[in-house]
Amino acid sequence: MLCNVILKTLRDRRRSLLFWGLGMVALAVIMVAFFPVIRDAPFVSEYLESFPEEFMALFAGEITDYTSGEGFLNGELFFLMYPLLMLIYAIGFGSGAIASEEEKGTLDLLLSNPLNRWQLVLDKFIAMVICTLLVAAVFWAALAIGNVVVDMGLNLARLAAVCFSGFLLGITFGSIALAVGCARGKHGLSIGAGGALGVYAYLLNALAPLIGWLEPFQVASPFYYYIDANPLKNGLDPVHASVLIGLTAIFLVISMVTFERRDLAV
Amino acid sequence: MTDNDSVIRAEQLTKLYGKQRGILDIDLDIRRGEVFGYLGPNGAGKTTTIRILLHFIFPSRGNVSIFGLNVARKHLEIRRRIGYLPGELEVYNNLTGAELLEFISHLRGGVDWQYVREMAERFDYDLSQRIKTLSHGNRQKIGLIQAFMNKPELLILDEPTIGLDPLMQQEFYRLIGEARAEGSTVFLSSHIMPEVERVCDRVGIIREGRLIAVEDIDVLKERAIRRLEIHFAAPVSPGEFNNIEGVRDVQVHENILTCTIAGEIDTLVKTAARYHVLNLISHEPSMEEIFLAYYNQEDNSAM
Repeated sequence: MLCNVILKTLRDRRRSLLFWGLGMVALAVIMVAFFPVIRDAPFVSEYLESFPEEFMALFAGEITDYTSGEGFLNGELFFLMYPLLMLIYAIGFGSGAIASEEEKGTLDLLLSNPLNRWQLVLDKFIAMVICTLLVAAVFWAALAIGNVVVDMGLNLARLAAVCFSGFLLGITFGSIALAVGCARGKHGLSIGAGGALGVYAYLLNALAPLIGWLEPFQVASPFYYYIDANPLKNGLDPVHASVLIGLTAIFLVISMVTFERRDLAV
Repeated sequence: MTDNDSVIRAEQLTKLYGKQRGILDIDLDIRRGEVFGYLGPNGAGKTTTIRILLHFIFPSRGNVSIFGLNVARKHLEIRRRIGYLPGELEVYNNLTGAELLEFISHLRGGVDWQYVREMAERFDYDLSQRIKTLSHGNRQKIGLIQAFMNKPELLILDEPTIGLDPLMQQEFYRLIGEARAEGSTVFLSSHIMPEVERVCDRVGIIREGRLIAVEDIDVLKERAIRRLEIHFAAPVSPGEFNNIEGVRDVQVHENILTCTIAGEIDTLVKTAARYHVLNLISHEPSMEEIFLAYYNQEDNSAM
């Protein structure tokens, strides 16, 4: 497991990955367990519909059909909870990838070896992609099993599409955090920058449909490309997915270039 | 420029930080097979110079090449051929020593494990221990082992003996000797004069970011000022001691004579031997005293 930087990073992350996996499974189990209760109690839907439109739009998106498995998961999980978790995971990973080694001082010994700086950044990025994808895959698997147990009527390929879309959103912000860490070498700063951008992007996407002057700017939010095409219903939108992949690639390149060109901190 | 005997060559190497002092116009020419000591107090610019050599930081101006290869362009090829010990060594705490070395060896494309085990034995280092649990001295040992384990052409060691107990320091000096015998070049920084005297062929003295002298170690020893204290059985007069070459600042308090001396102490000892000597104490020169020797010299030559 210590053959290269990618494998070593995965090895370092194995415990955290295990707990994240367990957490995602727990979340899936709870959500799935609640579904039959809510589906069979129509007053819940009526109750939810009695909330102001703005309130629902902020926390559950525009989908308020809680009687179908698809509508329920879109509202309860995929609008806020799941992307938020993917962001937290990927930002946590990306922000520390370079910056925490630099702050701890282990970067000196690592880079005294015949290893290009850009190569190090790329390896860390690949490890982040693998781990984030694993977290998303575990979540998908848990929901897929739940789908059979309580008969939610979900299409597993479409379920995979929305999970994958969330993974793309996660690594978009993970690579932003990576870029800040590469440019400035400060772990805290890159968590803060990635997290703050994530919150703004979420709010922009959630509120834009409700506020007239904000609406044209919705397309500036990565969240829009994650969920607006409703991948759980329609499958992955290739254009929207490409936007997220493109953003990720841009921030990866920025990470590599800035890290190549600056002085490393002692 | 393509002098084959030159391993490290720096020309007017300068690193300017905002308000902090960096290094200024450092010229170095480290020849193949020599052990070069980079001597100076903490904060003088030793680590800054070394980090430029490793391409961790970039010079504000000046050129530097290693093995005749430009550091800015060929740093990867250079790093294939060097062993490096960071000044403030930090390693992955979650690994054992063996795991750390395994990881590093993969990055370098393999290593002679027989030699690693031999070094671990010599340093009395337990490779199976998790690095988290190690004392500072033991961490330093793993740092040394990884620097030496590929038998590199050039060793760059930043304050290598910090934290090592005296026995392990001796082992380290032997290791340096062996590396030199096999043709390796060593560039080591230190703030301890006796250590540099012990292992180095040549010494560069750096102070406040400037290289103030580069000398063969013998010359340095000759010029180094030591403080001597001689205890006599009866009072002596300072007169005849004042006239000995190299002796200065003679002071006599009853039975005790103190003075400073540059170079050999032979004449002084023979003069003292005419009396009944109870004790003779020689103080190792501090960094300040070494600098003074050079500044006094410069002042003299300026006059």
